[in-house]
Amino acid sequence: MKTKTELIKFNQGLDLESGARLDTFDLMVETYGELNEDKDNAILVCHAFSGNHHAAGNSSDGEALGWWDEVIGSGKAIDTDKFFVVCSNNLGGCSGSSGPLSINPESGKLYGKDFPLVSVNDWVNSQKLLSDHLGISKWHMVAGGSLGGMQALQWAISYPNKLKKAGIFATATKSSTQNIAMNEVGREAIRKDKNFMEGDYLNHNVKPKSGLKTARMLGHITYSSEDIMDQKFGRKFQDIKSKIEGTVDYEVENYLQYKGEKFSDTFDANSYILMTKAMDGYDAAFSSNGSLEEVMRRIKAKLLVVGFDSDWLYPPKRSKEIQLAAMNVDVQCSCVILKGEQGHDSFLFASDRYVKIIKGFLDSK
Amino acid sequence: MNTSLIHIIKKWIPEKSKVIDFGCGDGSLLKDLIDEKKIRGYGVEIDHNKIQECILKGISVIEKDIDEGIQDFESCNFDVAVMASSIQCLKEPHLALRKMLKLSKQCIVTLPNLGFWKCRLDLVLGRMPVTPNLPSSWYETKNLHLCTIKDFETLCFEEGFVINEKFFLNDKGAKSVMASTFPNTFASEGIYLIAKK
Repeated sequence: MKTKTELIKFNQGLDLESGARLDTFDLMVETYGELNEDKDNAILVCHAFSGNHHAAGNSSDGEALGWWDEVIGSGKAIDTDKFFVVCSNNLGGCSGSSGPLSINPESGKLYGKDFPLVSVNDWVNSQKLLSDHLGISKWHMVAGGSLGGMQALQWAISYPNKLKKAGIFATATKSSTQNIAMNEVGREAIRKDKNFMEGDYLNHNVKPKSGLKTARMLGHITYSSEDIMDQKFGRKFQDIKSKIEGTVDYEVENYLQYKGEKFSDTFDANSYILMTKAMDGYDAAFSSNGSLEEVMRRIKAKLLVVGFDSDWLYPPKRSKEIQLAAMNVDVQCSCVILKGEQGHDSFLFASDRYVKIIKGFLDSK
Repeated sequence: MNTSLIHIIKKWIPEKSKVIDFGCGDGSLLKDLIDEKKIRGYGVEIDHNKIQECILKGISVIEKDIDEGIQDFESCNFDVAVMASSIQCLKEPHLALRKMLKLSKQCIVTLPNLGFWKCRLDLVLGRMPVTPNLPSSWYETKNLHLCTIKDFETLCFEEGFVINEKFFLNDKGAKSVMASTFPNTFASEGIYLIAKK
């Protein structure tokens, strides 16, 4: 699989939904496969909250597999032998695109907590500039799950002529009250970490690791489900030798400790707050006073909406809402609810039916 | 679905109308209607393989059990709702018809006729009827609520549905004088276009 990772600089600036403006910005972009002559085989994949541009294959250091490696690759559901797949790190992220860890060109100092609030709309607008840069006038598909699914939906609304199909997986047209509540607990854990320093930790050479870790542990509970945790861990005790913390009794505790620890090493706390705020703030119907039908009326792309039965973060009924609004305004839209073995995270894994459906959707006229 | 049936359904569906096909199978009927009549079509199906075929054909398909989900589409203002060869498999056919006529101006229903003379003969001879459009044995059939042509028309009358069109086929799947004149005895299949009064 031909893979290219590059930092692309945009000098034309971007007006953000918050009213702030980035005069220049960078996007870290990874591509797989090759763009054909007609430039009509391109697929944009949008990452979820903690993902980044590295969607498939091994990372450049050979360590981490891409977040959607089960789905993207040679012969896979999104086949890189056929399609040119593009993934960019969202603005405000911490994997190379402009965000809290980059230098503010105005002050010459790190942005840190001063990086402006970003939104799903801003990401879509920045990705539109990216498609212009790549010379892609129409995506064959824009797809994503969770927060990435929100971007795919927003693409279809914002740029109806710029994509043929949208794959909208394990997501909703807006975050629910419960979603916002969960995110706030995560943010509170970070803010109350003594190393957070009101977001100014970079200037003090510290990191609010324990807050990030707690936030991520809670996150992992929401990405899973009661049944899945029962099946995976049950009430099994953790083996003494492999305990991460002395306080750990059960395997599930050890798992959360491990995941949280790993995440807190790599993720930036200000990014965490920005990303979750963007997720909470998304409401596709915001611009039309809550009428989803009104905004969806603009859509010309064909939609494929997939929900997973074990997902309680963005449950199937949220997928069905998208389908129903589409049907109300004559937008072409298929909707399937798949058996998910992994709760909300199911959209990341290549189950048989999921793969078939994505392939069928990509091949359909 | 046999070709005469498809032909009649197509004839009854106006150009550019908004159509929902309950139990749409592999999406062939919708595909034809989209190509030939420029309709805006949606299918509802529960069989995984058939859903897959719909998606491959580019047909908008929704995975749903018709027994549970007809009312979900109430807000969608369809011109025609189609229920071909499945009304008798539903738990509550009369309620399903009511719901369909809530979400759509008109409704096309096709049903096998248990009053067909060969079915009657089977029963006289002491066996459950097995005919070309009732092919399964009693222990395998998905049909829960079989009825005769007369039964169906009585239900329509009692429910206050208007029968705008009807058409009958014999057991060869063809139009015949006998089936049209004495449908309750000689029609193997009935096709109805119904609406609310």
